[in-house]
Amino acid sequence: MDEQLDTTENTDDSELVEEELLVEEVSIDGMCGVY
Amino acid sequence: MRGLLTSLVPSTIDHPVLSGRWQLHPQVALRPEPFGALAYHYGNRRLTFLRSPDLVELVRTLGDHASVDDALQASGVDERRWPSFRTAIASLADGDLLIPKAA
Repeated sequence: MDEQLDTTENTDDSELVEEELLVEEVSIDGMCGVY
Repeated sequence: MRGLLTSLVPSTIDHPVLSGRWQLHPQVALRPEPFGALAYHYGNRRLTFLRSPDLVELVRTLGDHASVDDALQASGVDERRWPSFRTAIASLADGDLLIPKAA
């Protein structure tokens, strides 16, 4: 049942691509003492 | 869960990091993980997940190339993924994890 999704779209202005989230910031402020 | 963490963006972005030579900030430590790496900046105490081993390798070798695209070319990453990598590199530069490399 796997479907291949079309990951690209062409527009008049620019080529749009599906973006991967490769960077994620993690906030660790205030985590001291958390168990 | 494909598609949850994705969005459609232009294939090209404009950011200073995409031109010129950049390198990993000397105060940033990379810890390899199965998903890629943890990046910790000892200066600003930011913790960042690099969610691709390909991105980790790109970041490590960025200073060896004249530009991000040169580094991408050398990395062997599929060109269809380059926009995502450019966005990621720009994000790392904005977070001070990457700095311009002195000529």
